[in-house]
Amino acid sequence: MHLAVPLVIASALFAIGVYAVLARRNAVLVLMGVELMLNAVNLLLVAFDVYLRDTLHTGQALTLFVITIAAAEIGLGLAIVLAVFRGSATIDLDLLRTLADHDDGPDHDGPDLDAPDADEDHDTTIGRQAQRSGSPP
Amino acid sequence: MSAEARVLLAMIIVPALGSAVVALVPGPRGDRVARPLGAIFGGITLVLAVVAVLAFDHDAAGTFQLETDLSWVPALDLRFHLGVDGISLPLVLLTALLAFLCLAYTMRVMPKAAQPRAFVAVLLLLEVGLLGTFVALDLVLFFLFFEVVLIPMWFVIAVWGDSTPSSTARSAANTFILYTLLGSAVMVLGFLVVHAETGTFDLVALADGAGAGMARGTQVIAALAMLGGLAVKTPMWPLHTWLPDAHTAAPTVGSVLLAGALLKMGTYGMVRVVLPVVPEGTEALAPYLGALGVVGILYGSFACLAQTDLKRLIAYSSVGHMGFVLLGISTLTPAGINGALYANVAHGLITGLLFFVVGGIKDRHGSSSFDGVGRALYARAPRLAAILAFAAVASLGLPGLAGFWGEMLTLLGAYDPSSALPRGLYLTLMTLAGVGAVLTAAYLLQTVRRVCQGPIADAAPRRSSLEDVSSIEALAWSPLVVLVVLLGVWPGLLLGLTDPAVATLLGTGG
Amino acid sequence: MTPALAAILVPALAALVGLTALGRSRRAAAVAVGGAFVTFAVTAGTAIANVVDGVADSASYGLIPNGTAPMQVALRLDGLSATVAIMVAAVALAVQIYSVSYLGGDPRYPSYAALISLFTAAMMLVVHADDLIILLIGWEVMGICSYFLVAHHWELRDARRAGVKAFLVTRIGDIAFMFGIFGLGLGSGTFKISDLELLVGDDLMAGNTLTVVTLLLLAGVVGKSAQLPLQVWLPDAMAGPTPVSALIHAATMVAAGVFLVARLYDVFLAAPATLAVLAVIAAITMLGAALAALVQPDIKRVLAYSTISQLAYMLAALGVQAYEAGMFHLITHGAFKALLFLAAGALIHVVGTNLLPEMGGLRRIMPVTFVTMTIGLAALIGIPPFSGFFSKEAIFVGAEEAIHDGSAATAWVPWFVLVVAMITVTVTAAYATRLWLLAFFGTRSAPAQPHEVGWTMRGPLVVLATATVGLGVIGLRNDWFPAWLDRLTFTVEPAGITDLVPAEATLLAPGLVTSIASLVLAAIGAGLTYLSWRRTTADPARLLGRLEPVLDRGFGVDSLYDRIVVRPARRIAAATLVADRDVVGAAVTGSGTVSQRLGAAVRRSQDGDLQRYLTVLLAGTVLVIVAAWTAAGT
Repeated sequence: MHLAVPLVIASALFAIGVYAVLARRNAVLVLMGVELMLNAVNLLLVAFDVYLRDTLHTGQALTLFVITIAAAEIGLGLAIVLAVFRGSATIDLDLLRTLADHDDGPDHDGPDLDAPDADEDHDTTIGRQAQRSGSPP
Repeated sequence: MSAEARVLLAMIIVPALGSAVVALVPGPRGDRVARPLGAIFGGITLVLAVVAVLAFDHDAAGTFQLETDLSWVPALDLRFHLGVDGISLPLVLLTALLAFLCLAYTMRVMPKAAQPRAFVAVLLLLEVGLLGTFVALDLVLFFLFFEVVLIPMWFVIAVWGDSTPSSTARSAANTFILYTLLGSAVMVLGFLVVHAETGTFDLVALADGAGAGMARGTQVIAALAMLGGLAVKTPMWPLHTWLPDAHTAAPTVGSVLLAGALLKMGTYGMVRVVLPVVPEGTEALAPYLGALGVVGILYGSFACLAQTDLKRLIAYSSVGHMGFVLLGISTLTPAGINGALYANVAHGLITGLLFFVVGGIKDRHGSSSFDGVGRALYARAPRLAAILAFAAVASLGLPGLAGFWGEMLTLLGAYDPSSALPRGLYLTLMTLAGVGAVLTAAYLLQTVRRVCQGPIADAAPRRSSLEDVSSIEALAWSPLVVLVVLLGVWPGLLLGLTDPAVATLLGTGG
Repeated sequence: MTPALAAILVPALAALVGLTALGRSRRAAAVAVGGAFVTFAVTAGTAIANVVDGVADSASYGLIPNGTAPMQVALRLDGLSATVAIMVAAVALAVQIYSVSYLGGDPRYPSYAALISLFTAAMMLVVHADDLIILLIGWEVMGICSYFLVAHHWELRDARRAGVKAFLVTRIGDIAFMFGIFGLGLGSGTFKISDLELLVGDDLMAGNTLTVVTLLLLAGVVGKSAQLPLQVWLPDAMAGPTPVSALIHAATMVAAGVFLVARLYDVFLAAPATLAVLAVIAAITMLGAALAALVQPDIKRVLAYSTISQLAYMLAALGVQAYEAGMFHLITHGAFKALLFLAAGALIHVVGTNLLPEMGGLRRIMPVTFVTMTIGLAALIGIPPFSGFFSKEAIFVGAEEAIHDGSAATAWVPWFVLVVAMITVTVTAAYATRLWLLAFFGTRSAPAQPHEVGWTMRGPLVVLATATVGLGVIGLRNDWFPAWLDRLTFTVEPAGITDLVPAEATLLAPGLVTSIASLVLAAIGAGLTYLSWRRTTADPARLLGRLEPVLDRGFGVDSLYDRIVVRPARRIAAATLVADRDVVGAAVTGSGTVSQRLGAAVRRSQDGDLQRYLTVLLAGTVLVIVAAWTAAGT
């Protein structure tokens, strides 16, 4: 078999995987896309191992590693997806925006730095031994 | 190296040590001993500064003396190079004196936010930065000490300062630190340009080289960057807006050190770093420097005429006085630069005294605005009012007091500037500065009239008599009063030091 | 040199010691009067030595290194300084003694006395200075003492305003004065006055430059001596205590301007255009001030305008190169004007008000004051044998000479001066007579303390009156006074300075024609006033009708200045504050706002869309690989 056959198949698989990761809304489908990319890489590894007639068979050895790691990773990924589903009742990635940086801070209204006595400022007190004693006038 | 030469190093180490000691003494005992301890360390530093003055060879005031030259970062060719000459010595003494007076004053008068340990530690750290800037002879070392000043000052203003309805102490401190940091960033770019062209950071070597090896265009760029950064510190119009808010918010000793020492760093940097290292660049930019200085004089004076708050008024007056210093530097003549250096020192003494007195007035009345202070202070606290009037008269440049010589020599320099500069422009600047001097007299006498004089029945509604000058105030203020008179009647004291140094500066600078 | 040093340091020391006596009036009085007495003794000794032998000494106490032309702490002692110094010291002593009872009950007396001592020291510094910068120092210290003393009664609004106004108006002149000093010093290479005098003969600097420089110096003179256009401060400065007016605003500080022209006379002679300007300004001021004095209800304001007018006489004399005549009038005027002010103070003390219409008939209650003041007024009008007659006549004669000596081009100046001066004689007589009649004659006012003032106040009056009578003698011998002044006269040709020659017999004796003319004119003025007074025993000035308010307000110069200087300055000040907050300050806070908005804009890319992050990551990686590939390829 010509080398081109597994190369083309692997590239096609990789491309489909990339599409699935970047463009699908369902989180499980994204994970499936990741699997596709990993297996495309596996295919390439084996194909080149045979093509280059490697005596140590490093390609095929690495493929075994990749399969194992992919399995572990997909288990973990699905566990996370399940947890997210339990928390937000959705696995639509377009709706899961909690990592966004809002204008008023990551997840609460930020400190008002111009208020007269913002005692609780966490980003302005640099570690000194100064402790606020009485309340300001 | 001889003991004498180590005195500058000791002068920087002692306050740093003091700061650490004061901060680390534990528990309530630490709070009790913090202020006396601070005054002691300040006193030791002052003694060291006096020793430096005595060890200084006044006949060779144009050369760098008492040098400490240690290898610091060999890989980058950085040296820990300290030294003083006729230009920096008066400023060192002034700073040490003001810092000591502030620390002594703190023994009895603390800002409202208490915490004496932290306050004294911060003040001592501030002193380290100030003194270090004036004795550093390596560009990176200069920059280092320049920056060391910023953080302690931020704390002094933000933690121990007073808020007003229009701006809080925190925002004033933020404006101060961000603005001056921006200036420093631009300045360090200039330093890097210089280093890239000449290969050294050492100020002595750079001054000797006098811009050799740097094309005129490069010099102008470097000068522009360095002057831009130093101009924020001066403060030069239009980069001055941080100063009024910072002064209004700062506590008394903070204002004294800010006006008396911090503001000197900018113009000192111009004379020490920019003028000798990139003379052609300075020459190209000098007319603009002078023009902006004069704008500052007039702008500051006009702003003062309409002011209703004492501390803000003195802040704007500082913009005006530093405008004179800038004009003097921009003339690039011995008379002008002597005048600028004299005005620098005189301003430190006079404005330091003014802020001390106004701080005392503010503590007594709870406010520094005209309405809050009331009128007829001559009747309520005669000695206090008399010192305020004296300081105001000194500030307007009355001959016979320290302020006169600086202003006069500056204007003399502008009358006959360096031959490379346009004389017509400088004559115009001189005339406008003269108008500014009249306006200065106007607003200062207006202030005395508004605060010290007035119908006796109009005195502040709350009380008709106040505690007059206390003993700690008399102690802290009298050295300043004496020096203002001394430098007014014996100008040779200061000019004898600066004139040879200026001659060397301009001689090598071309 | 010791006399000069003593004359300066003794009052300065008295001032310093006086500061320690705050709150203890008796000690302060002792220190002040004692210091003034010692100063007087020293200056009297020097003056006598000058009359007998001539004095000439100079010393330099140190160089002030400044990088350009040398400045030094240099003092000199010569005829001019000795003559003026004794006048200053005499008036200062009289004023200190007088003040002891005039201000005796005032709790602020100690600081007042110390300030007067300081002022005396400053004036002595001006008189003995041999360096322009040192002169400037004394000049300005006098100004600040004047400020503090005028605002002595700072609880009164008029005093507060007047103090600031006095200082600021003179400061304007002083800044220009300083610029003139720069020009003179840098142009000639030295700030030392005795060196300048020698250099002047050698073509000191280009004619135009010298004219500009001397005009700048003139600005300072005009400010200190209250001439047009800077005369507005002197009438208002009458808000200060009367002894202050006597010392500062009659005899000494305002005379400093005249003294300066005399001291630098050689320089001024080399710039004839400036002297012409001086003469013209003086002539206009002379008449204008006299007219204003005619209608003032306040007795001190009459005397203030009178001072302006008489100073104009002196400056006009100097302007037409009648140097000795001008200085003669300076000395006599110092005596009789101080006398008039102190006498006015006595009247005010007794009657309790400054206003002339409320006085009257005081000659019976206060005989000594009446006699001495009459003497003073007679000297002012120029009636023989009082000193004022001789000194004024000397000026007229000097103007006449200038008409004959001068070239055709500038001959109109001395003519103008002479004519105006003659007219002013009439007006002077008119206002002096008005003052005399309103104060001492007519219906008796009801004063609070109907008795003559005490001897500490009467004594100085008598002494000054004696001087007023006696000083006229000086003019009788032509060579006395010029010799005392050490005057080496240049002969002035139209082309310029030619030669240094010893003083020729300068005529100080009265000329026949001018004497008769001036006496007739004075009689007319006095007579008209008397007749008007007879018609209405209220203020005869009322008869001037619509003219009265114009003259009362000093021809409206004050309100003009208010409109073109004070109010615009206040408006610019308010605008500056607004601009600082909204323009310059807005730029700074605006940078903060811009940064925040930029941050918000960049933050929009952090929208939580994981897949977009990955897409960007992928695209970036591809770009880096391609870039590395092409870079490696080249």
